[in-house]
Amino acid sequence: MNVAVTVDAREDIPVWLAYGTPVFTVLAALAVSAIALVVLDVNPVAAYATMFVETLFTEFGLRETLTKAVPLILTGLAVYLPLKAGLFNIGAEGQLVAGALAGTWIGLNVSLPGLALVPLMFVAAAVAGGIWAGIPAYLRAKWDVNEIITSLLLTFVALEIQSYLLRGPMQGGTGNFPQSERFSEAAMIPELLGGVHAGLLVAVVMVALTYVLMTKTRLGFEITFVGSNDEAAQQAGMSKFYVYLFVFVVGGAFAAMGGISEIAGAQGRYRAGFEPGYGFTAIPIALLGRNSAFKVMLAGLFFAVLFVGGSSMEVAFGVPAALVEIIQALVILFLITAEFFKSYRVGIDIKRGPTETPAQPQRGDD
Amino acid sequence: MVSFIAGLLDATVQAATVLLLAGMGELISERAGVLNLGVEGMMLVGALGGFITTVLTGSHWLGFGVGILLGMILALVHAFLCITLKSNQVISGVMLTLLGAGLTTFFGSGWVEESIEGFPQLTLPLVGQYLVGIPVIGEAFFRSTATDYLALGLLVVVWYFLHHSNLGLEMIAVGEDPEMADTMGVSVFRLRYLAVLIGGGFAGAAGAHLSLAFSQLWVPGMTAGRGWIAVALVIFAQWRPRRMLVGAYLFGLLDALRIRSQSISLTLGPDAPLAGVINPIVEFLMNPQIMGTYPYLATIIVLAYAVIRTKSDQLAVPSALLQAYSRETD
Repeated sequence: MNVAVTVDAREDIPVWLAYGTPVFTVLAALAVSAIALVVLDVNPVAAYATMFVETLFTEFGLRETLTKAVPLILTGLAVYLPLKAGLFNIGAEGQLVAGALAGTWIGLNVSLPGLALVPLMFVAAAVAGGIWAGIPAYLRAKWDVNEIITSLLLTFVALEIQSYLLRGPMQGGTGNFPQSERFSEAAMIPELLGGVHAGLLVAVVMVALTYVLMTKTRLGFEITFVGSNDEAAQQAGMSKFYVYLFVFVVGGAFAAMGGISEIAGAQGRYRAGFEPGYGFTAIPIALLGRNSAFKVMLAGLFFAVLFVGGSSMEVAFGVPAALVEIIQALVILFLITAEFFKSYRVGIDIKRGPTETPAQPQRGDD
Repeated sequence: MVSFIAGLLDATVQAATVLLLAGMGELISERAGVLNLGVEGMMLVGALGGFITTVLTGSHWLGFGVGILLGMILALVHAFLCITLKSNQVISGVMLTLLGAGLTTFFGSGWVEESIEGFPQLTLPLVGQYLVGIPVIGEAFFRSTATDYLALGLLVVVWYFLHHSNLGLEMIAVGEDPEMADTMGVSVFRLRYLAVLIGGGFAGAAGAHLSLAFSQLWVPGMTAGRGWIAVALVIFAQWRPRRMLVGAYLFGLLDALRIRSQSISLTLGPDAPLAGVINPIVEFLMNPQIMGTYPYLATIIVLAYAVIRTKSDQLAVPSALLQAYSRETD
């Protein structure tokens, strides 16, 4: 018997595969992560039930989820937008930190009424995040220096600067912890109905703006065009330079707004390690939602559920919340596996052995 | 002062070994055309696996071997995704770093309290007993753990392998021009798998060295970004083993200096001219956190400088890096 695996490029993607992929991906990731729970002797059904029920069906859970979703959606957009132009921003984490530091500095050192101070903090954050993202973008647009590596390395520069500032010039509060002074009332983002801060509004508006940009404007068309074929785009008279700079700088500003929202909305002060790597979670978020800004928002909400559910599972079952990291990684793993099946059709040909082929006069000895 | 420099050199050697081991693996993988951003995750898995094995069996060499093996298992996932499924190497690498960090934090939390007897300090056999007496550098270079010597020995092996053996040259060819290599009868898939697996083994070894020789304990996230520095180191070294030796010791020295920077004073006396201007600048530049940015900044500058100056076709970056290879089908 002869088994041959054939791999052929697909002409078009079947509808069930295109729409089902995100759902299959998430389910597969949860199923495989259940193994880790079983190893630690925890009933995965009970654990997942706690994870989702306490998050989605309690007031506290919903509030926490919507709060966590703000930085996740905004950093997701920070990866999504460059992805549309064919660039990879894996430094959203650094842009978030740079923006959060700048916004915090304004919040602590400028005294204005809240209505003016909070927007100023957002502007300062966006500028800092935009500059932080602008460095790799400029190097890429001008000299073709790989933006993946530089945006990643700048993340670690930002994290070191964060730790320098919180141990030195920006250190505050009681004790000698790496954290800033507490914000005054004016520097806090006001709450919406139900206790979720207004950063959520910012995130939703940015999603809507990105959606309009990508679907309704000429610039959005140019971004998509550059992303699919940059040489043809340049021949059509579009500027790759400005498109590259634009997507990265705006992306960096999004990530930065996510950072300052979390600090001035949820934390009340800048603590070292205030966020568990939202800028990296942004990568699976942008990949899950790569078709539209609204899907980025959905993916951001899903990961917010995971983060909040992970902590309630930790409390209820004594299971490390690091399970969320494993689930995250597996979502990416199955997503890129699914990408392969989207672009290639895999067939298995089983050719029966010579016993069943019609008897023919044989030449030579096989 | 002499004892300070001796201690600094000793710490430099230890820090450099971690970077050297992880960097060599990354170098081999990238020369074959596969970027591995999962080094950090593979190091963590190697560190925890090696540590648990050593706690259970008491054998640090067995632990070291298990560390290598676990690094290779994660690397196999990377190879399958990037080579067979032609997935994006960046995404796969970031995923493996997340996976390694998640798995080791999840399963490693119970092992934080344990203590082990790790790799002992050895005097270099044969000549070591005479050389260890050399002031300042003797202790640092001739009394170290076995893994320190191993890393230096492996660097020679890697250099010879890549630049003077058939297999190594074929590997480089696969990273430069896979179509051509395929035409010449070299199996692109097999060699890339081999390179990625070797790379994972080295990353696992770096992690095991970290938990078994360097710190002799396990803490979640103990690699503290060293995997990313190893990725930077390969670029800094322009994909060449000999320059990597210099780079690893340079970055290792920075790592050792930042731990000790509080005990050095390079500031001018209060009466010296311009002391008021220079002292704050020196203090800022010698701050441990600010020093932590130097490896990354230096790498960005080297990368940008090399690309801008040589117009990329002369740059040492493997031409087919980040490109999946598939045979043309009609």
